[in-house]
Amino acid sequence: MKVLKYILLVIAFVFIQQETQAQCVPTESVKVCIPKLAGGFHFLKSYEINGRGGRLEKVEYSYPFAKGTMYMVNLCSADGGNQGLVVTLYDAARKQLATSVVNGQQLQAIVFNCQRTGIYYLTYTFDNSTSYCGGSALGFKR
Amino acid sequence: MLTVSSCGSDKKDDADAFLSELDEGIDAPAISEETINDILMQIPAPIEISMLMKESGSAYDRTILSNPADVSKYNTTFKRAINLGIYGTDLIYTNIFNKNQEGLAYMKSVKELADDLNIGQFFNIRLIGRLATNNDNLDSIMLITTQNFNAINRYLQENKRANLSILFLVGGWMEAVHINCKMAIDNPEVTSLAERIGEQKIILENIMLLMSFYAETDPNIKELYEDMLQLKEAYGNIEITYTYAEPTTEIVDGVLMIKDNSSSTVHITLDNVKEIDRVIETIRTKLTS
Repeated sequence: MKVLKYILLVIAFVFIQQETQAQCVPTESVKVCIPKLAGGFHFLKSYEINGRGGRLEKVEYSYPFAKGTMYMVNLCSADGGNQGLVVTLYDAARKQLATSVVNGQQLQAIVFNCQRTGIYYLTYTFDNSTSYCGGSALGFKR
Repeated sequence: MLTVSSCGSDKKDDADAFLSELDEGIDAPAISEETINDILMQIPAPIEISMLMKESGSAYDRTILSNPADVSKYNTTFKRAINLGIYGTDLIYTNIFNKNQEGLAYMKSVKELADDLNIGQFFNIRLIGRLATNNDNLDSIMLITTQNFNAINRYLQENKRANLSILFLVGGWMEAVHINCKMAIDNPEVTSLAERIGEQKIILENIMLLMSFYAETDPNIKELYEDMLQLKEAYGNIEITYTYAEPTTEIVDGVLMIKDNSSSTVHITLDNVKEIDRVIETIRTKLTS
């Protein structure tokens, strides 16, 4: 009986530890990201990225971008900096335009100089992430 | 089945009804919550259109805005939600033109409507009031205002009140187009203003799609949807053409700069703008009366 109790305790401990590791508070990452928008960019939207401990492969948002406007999308990971977080930009036809990983280097932000008005998709994925958690801010300037 | 609006004029009764709706929920449309939220995300923030107006050199004109003193007239959940959006855009418009004191009047009306809708917790009117005393704080006011409105949307969607989120966003969007139309008519030489109105055709299509889902179960949204069919008709004359070319990229200081080599062209005339303005004026008068 004692052995059984011990096993149950170990299982419970491992489960709680996993849940704690998987706990994601993207609002905190968003708070970090908004002030990091480059000078001249006006804040538009913030996006919470919660990969549910790796259970979600991607988190996607969309927004209408307007011709003649520059949009900045930055990344703030719960791992620290922008580590493990990737944003990929797609147009309305789901054609990939760019991604924040270039030659294996994870970049902190992308800036899109939009010349074609339409709906665009921001797809967030994880690359060697330990937290699967973060936030992102979208800003614009004309 | 529950409806979103209340016919009574007593604010408390209406707030009670709203709380009751929160408890019981409403008839959900036959579409997933995820799809609704996806479409809601595609309604632009009014700040973008407002910023264009200032940059185009257009003059501030408070006569085209909704009267903040009319707030007491809005005594149904439907009217409050849609006028919250309208006042929100007017607030941003006053902010952008550095009319901080006029902005405060809108802030108070926004706060009052938000309180009536039980979402007043998102506004710290004292903080904004303090910031509004100095024009140097414009960026802070804009940031806080935008964050507040984003928080409201998130809250409404998370609490399964997407129907109110739609009204809030549609009210804000329509007010932005209304102001833009007035400015485009007054400044026909600034073609970017008319083009921005034309570009809203893409947004209107999404709004109409979204409203069509709720029109089946919500009589207020149904009425607004039917009114907006006239707006859709007015937009029928506008054409947007596209060309696609691969983008080019370069890395500058750890940031990927993407140059869009595609293009879009909006074909819109001043008469088209005037027709859109006329239809929006009719709908807006109904919503703000």
